[in-house]
Amino acid sequence: MVGIFVSGYLGLSGTLGAVADAIAYAIAISILIIAFDYIFGWVERKTIAKIQKRHGPTFAGKYGILQNLADFVKLLSKENVVPKNSDKLLFLSTIPIMLALSIFLIFLLPLAPTLLETNIGLGILVIFVLLSFMPLIIFANGFGSGNKFAAISAQRSVVMLISYELPLIFVIAAAGMLANGYNIADIVNAQSQWWFAILMPVGFVVFFIAMLAELERTPFDIREADNELIAGWLTDVSAPYYTLALFLDYTRMFLGSLLIAILFLGGWNGPLLPPVVWLLLKAFIVSFFIMIIRATMVRMRIDRLLRFGWIWLLPLSLLNLILTYVVFIA
Amino acid sequence: MTTRINIGPVHPSTHGVLRLVADIDGDTVVNLEPHIGFLHRGVEKLVETRMYMQSPPYMEKLDYVAPLSYDEVYVATVEKAMGVEVKERAMWIRTILLELQRIASHLLWLGTMANDVGQFFTLFMWAFKDRDLVLRLLEEAAGARMFYVNMRIGGLIRDLPPGFEDSARDLLDYLDKRVREYEDFLEKNPIFMERMRGVGTISREMAVNLGVTGPVLRASGISYDVRKDNPYYVYGKLNFETQTRSEGDCFARYKVRMLEIKESIRLVREALNKMPAGDALGMPVKLILPSAKNRIVSVSRELPRGECMMYMVADPQRPYRLSIRSPTFINLAALREISKGCRTADIFAILGSLDVVMGDCDR
Repeated sequence: MVGIFVSGYLGLSGTLGAVADAIAYAIAISILIIAFDYIFGWVERKTIAKIQKRHGPTFAGKYGILQNLADFVKLLSKENVVPKNSDKLLFLSTIPIMLALSIFLIFLLPLAPTLLETNIGLGILVIFVLLSFMPLIIFANGFGSGNKFAAISAQRSVVMLISYELPLIFVIAAAGMLANGYNIADIVNAQSQWWFAILMPVGFVVFFIAMLAELERTPFDIREADNELIAGWLTDVSAPYYTLALFLDYTRMFLGSLLIAILFLGGWNGPLLPPVVWLLLKAFIVSFFIMIIRATMVRMRIDRLLRFGWIWLLPLSLLNLILTYVVFIA
Repeated sequence: MTTRINIGPVHPSTHGVLRLVADIDGDTVVNLEPHIGFLHRGVEKLVETRMYMQSPPYMEKLDYVAPLSYDEVYVATVEKAMGVEVKERAMWIRTILLELQRIASHLLWLGTMANDVGQFFTLFMWAFKDRDLVLRLLEEAAGARMFYVNMRIGGLIRDLPPGFEDSARDLLDYLDKRVREYEDFLEKNPIFMERMRGVGTISREMAVNLGVTGPVLRASGISYDVRKDNPYYVYGKLNFETQTRSEGDCFARYKVRMLEIKESIRLVREALNKMPAGDALGMPVKLILPSAKNRIVSVSRELPRGECMMYMVADPQRPYRLSIRSPTFINLAALREISKGCRTADIFAILGSLDVVMGDCDR
């Protein structure tokens, strides 16, 4: 919508118009991501504070809305310390790469039926292939930082990868089966009547749990278990890069919530409100739910997660695949 | 191949300045060595240079989570050396205050332990808030939130203020409800149960050989509680049970402490009902004179963390020697034995379940 508007407004056509549209779209989505990260960062602080019977940030701005901005500026003003025995290239490049990757993945998601310029044929598969690079990049960063806690965190990241990645893919396979394809627009359109969360509840639960692990949220924040490994793979990362890491955290959560909303909660389908608003609203509710889980759950142990992944998640995701085939296809 | 990781002395979950050197093989702990002494202040020696009643403030800073209990052990030791009887009402008040202190200490432990197994500060905040209510009650009675120094030889520095009993009863009703809520919150969480059950098991024999005391011992199935087995003050007149569990794992230790909070609540209620009227004030400091009869004394008390014994050789004016058997020091020594073969993440669950206070350990 934005894209069409810009090229029409500027009177451009052909390649030039496409470039102008792309730039306008990129700016719009970037603003959206930053806005979500900022607002959600504040909502999370406030809500967890409420759950814990605290006040949360109150001083900066009305209801502490500017607190995150203040923290951001403060963190950016700090010196960037790079550990002496770290691999400089791995240590410094991985967090920006991960951030760029997660922002890129949000670009690949069509946010409304009229914004299909970035929709690619096997969209959901491409997204999950790229998403599963994340733990490997964390692994590289953990080993590159030359810190033992980060190294343990890196090992955990790989163990986690093998425990939740397969169930995730099987559930997507079932969703693809229902939608008759892996195109995101097709998947959303297939849910215009019934959400996939209703059609395959088992798959939804498995996907949600695996997504929590993918996003490193409690109870699966094993990689950065703050009272075991200090900050896990972020132990030696200093302020400016840590800011990026926080930004990355929320961006990934936005991405994960969008994916859950698109795959299971009917995406942009909904009455009255415009489609973009519906999708963002659903993503926000999913994020909110993830946040409440964070405030109430206890962290799982890594070997238990591995067992949980192989004994519960994997068979359940296969069961979901078979059930979906038997009930809806055959 | 083993990796050696150094945890502490400054680390998010070591309960003070404790350093742990862990050799881990993959995710399994091969050897774990606690290094202590970062908070050593030489209090046992300091006491020798002070007059008797100048020392309670030092005693309170040993275990800053349960200061009143430590204060009481010391004062009781001095009283025994002096051959002084405690006044009847003062005994009841001391019992009430000690049990309130036990509740406060256990609430703090509950919050930090939940934090150690990865709870994002929620239970920590709730428990701290409730602990603060108990501290406010103690403030009413003793005049300070944390470091009370309200014991005097033979009694207390002041009687309970008017209205204390009512506010105590209200608070106990509230705490009763809250503790049940906390139990629901944790025990209905399968991940929490998984983290605690079967982790860091101390068998009956091991518990005896390691010399652990307090809830750690009772969680291993041995019913030993100084309050019950060697009753002091009015514990003999009150009706309460020694809480034991047989499993000896982290969950048993958690459960014993939770049951102890409930038991303490019951104890305080009963003591408030039975408390006689009368005089509770202790002797003015100036009048304290040492008695030659009991030169060497020892007093044993059940602190929130375990049995504390003070052994004192009394001289005129000031103690010749004071030796403290602190519960944390002994309980922490068990950490090395029980954490062999556990997972890296379990170190902190076990440490949390032992309830260590480094001030108490290092003295």
